[in-house]
Amino acid sequence: MRVAIAEDSVLLREGVARLLDDAGFEVVAKCGDANDLMLKVRSYQLDIVIVDIRLPPTHSDEGLQAALEIRANHPDVSVLVLSQYVELGLALKLLSDSAESVGYLLKDRISDVDDFVAAVRRVANGGSAVDPNIVSTLLSRQREDDPLASLTPREREVLELMATGSSNQGIADKLVITLRAVEKYVSSIFGKLGLPSSGSESRRVLAVLTFLRS
Amino acid sequence: MLWALALAGCAAAALTFAVAFASDHVSDALVDAALLDWIVLPYVLAGVVAWWRRPESRFGPLMVAAGFGMFLSSLQWANWALPYTIGLAFDLLPAVLFIHVFLAFPGGRLEGRAERALVAAGYFAAVGLQLVKMLLGGGAPDNLLGVVDELAAANTVEDVQLFALSAISLAAIPLLVARRVRSGRPLRRWTELLVDSFAVGLVMIAVLLVAGSFGWSSFETIRRITFVTIGLSPVAFLIGLLSARLARSTVADLLVQLHADPTPSELPALFARALRDPSLTLAYWLPQYETWADLDGHPVTLPADRATTMIERDGVRLAALVHDRSLNDEPELLDAVSAAAGIALENGRLQAELRARLEELRGSRERVIEASQQERQRLERNLHDGAQQRLIALSLDLSMLENRLGGDPEARAQIDQARQEIAQSLEELRAVAHGLHPAVVSGHGLAVALESLAARAPVPVRLSVELEERVDEQLEVAAYYVVSESLANIGKHAQASSATIAVRRGNGQLVVEIVDDGIGGADSEAGSGLRGLADRVEALDGRLRVWTPHGGGTRVRAEMPCG
Repeated sequence: MRVAIAEDSVLLREGVARLLDDAGFEVVAKCGDANDLMLKVRSYQLDIVIVDIRLPPTHSDEGLQAALEIRANHPDVSVLVLSQYVELGLALKLLSDSAESVGYLLKDRISDVDDFVAAVRRVANGGSAVDPNIVSTLLSRQREDDPLASLTPREREVLELMATGSSNQGIADKLVITLRAVEKYVSSIFGKLGLPSSGSESRRVLAVLTFLRS
Repeated sequence: MLWALALAGCAAAALTFAVAFASDHVSDALVDAALLDWIVLPYVLAGVVAWWRRPESRFGPLMVAAGFGMFLSSLQWANWALPYTIGLAFDLLPAVLFIHVFLAFPGGRLEGRAERALVAAGYFAAVGLQLVKMLLGGGAPDNLLGVVDELAAANTVEDVQLFALSAISLAAIPLLVARRVRSGRPLRRWTELLVDSFAVGLVMIAVLLVAGSFGWSSFETIRRITFVTIGLSPVAFLIGLLSARLARSTVADLLVQLHADPTPSELPALFARALRDPSLTLAYWLPQYETWADLDGHPVTLPADRATTMIERDGVRLAALVHDRSLNDEPELLDAVSAAAGIALENGRLQAELRARLEELRGSRERVIEASQQERQRLERNLHDGAQQRLIALSLDLSMLENRLGGDPEARAQIDQARQEIAQSLEELRAVAHGLHPAVVSGHGLAVALESLAARAPVPVRLSVELEERVDEQLEVAAYYVVSESLANIGKHAQASSATIAVRRGNGQLVVEIVDDGIGGADSEAGSGLRGLADRVEALDGRLRVWTPHGGGTRVRAEMPCG
């Protein structure tokens, strides 16, 4: 797996590079700003870029713009956006077309090394990673007649993990249940929410997020 | 003194008749004397009136001089040698006096170098050369000054005189026209009329002098027409003075109107009518700011190409009337209007000063809010780039240390504890940073930022943001605070079951509206944070309104101009 990291804090950039290196990734580029990142995206065969949403020179949305550009023009490169705050609006912007090969996580997640590495790997392999904060914001949203009320607590847990991009196996591992049980919960949830059961795991992320947003 | 002059003028007129009728060389005594007096009397009388009305102006004396000059020239009709000689000496002087009068209108002074040169040349030709001609024996046999008898030379001098004076008359016409163009708008019809009569007079003088030098048979007719024409000018001048006098009655109207307490914004129109100058404007003097200002308190500079009349009250400068230069010809009118204006202008000046202060206050409020905004932004940035990054890096280091430690469960537990602490600190720092400045608004715009607010709202919210492009960051931040504060209020007080947030742009305004279906009756002044919001919105020239009838929900609407 070939990775590029764009992050203006040297401390964090080196930290992430080291942990990915330890996890067996090949860190081929470490960039301090978005222009440098775009240069590396064009010149190297990358599997995934990890990009801070706030990059020089103006520290406003350079990182996000770079991420959107890579999504649009380099579909074979996965993008994981990191930020010190996670905003629902930004998640919706980033995942507006598809949840494939894309992730958006709070920077704090880096220090949960195992989860973070798993998320990087998942996104690099075409899956998605949505920060749990965003999912919980969506789930706790006030609704006029709440369809989520019909879910059992267990189903809610599965839905939450599903929305963050976890695979069925990931959900099974996390909740310590069988893969078969997870599949049952998933189809029950889709039934109760009236969602068409969809194929890929990242496609169902988008379906769930869209459902939760409305 | 002036009465004596007027009487002398009348006596001179009578004398003209006497001399003409007694003369042995005047063909038609009645007509000639009447024509001459048609000039002498109006010039002397109009000159006396002008002298009386404006003692400081030289125009009156000049007109009187022209009248008497004309009279002196009539002495050549006398049968006796001495008056004849005097009359002959002044024969051509009146022509130059008239040119002088025309070019010196209305101030009585020759203003340009060209005017002065022309008139000086005229006096030299009319008097200087006349004496030379007489010394050479011209005008014999009664000419007492004749020293030699060189008639041919005298005739040559006379031709030079006539042509020179004729040329001078014609040259004066363009100067007159230029002055008329310069004198401003065609506001004072009588002034124009007067200047026109001057021009016609000049043409006639030129024609007359040429006719004289060629000895045309129609010379007499031309002379009579010229005299009639020249006599018209003082008549026009008198009419003008009379009309200026009439204008003073508009001051009385003005006083009546001022008595009815007009608003300051009505004042310029009233003054414009009283002074018959539609272009008139007012500027107020603001002593605190040492500047002139309009009624709205905006600084103005007095235009250099227009005339200004200062208006004072008790020796304190109040305002200035900015008007057409031609009004300077009527100082009495200006004085009267300025005197009447005092009290009414005091109100206007106070209003201008108040507005200027409000403007200043608004500016300083805007600066204070902007400065605090920038400071908050800077602090948020420092937190983001400093403490937050370091804490995350520290937490990452701890994790990697934990992995390397292997199987010591106690050490692992401690490290885990430390990481929990760091996570907690990060959470708190994030809240502080967001409270300082909603970075997502400046980074990604209002539409993105409002998604989270709506999702975290205490009641179900329908959000609609219709903005095609981003607006000014300050506006976005203000709008964000309006929404977040309103949602917080809904959570605390409204007991609502749902709410809508609508953001749109229309008529150059950013409109933000938050409506809930709660109990209403929110106290918009006390503590609810709405006052702070209003400050923020008003500092951006916008306004915040709150409708909150009991039992009827609450509607908060902010409108801010966005170019």
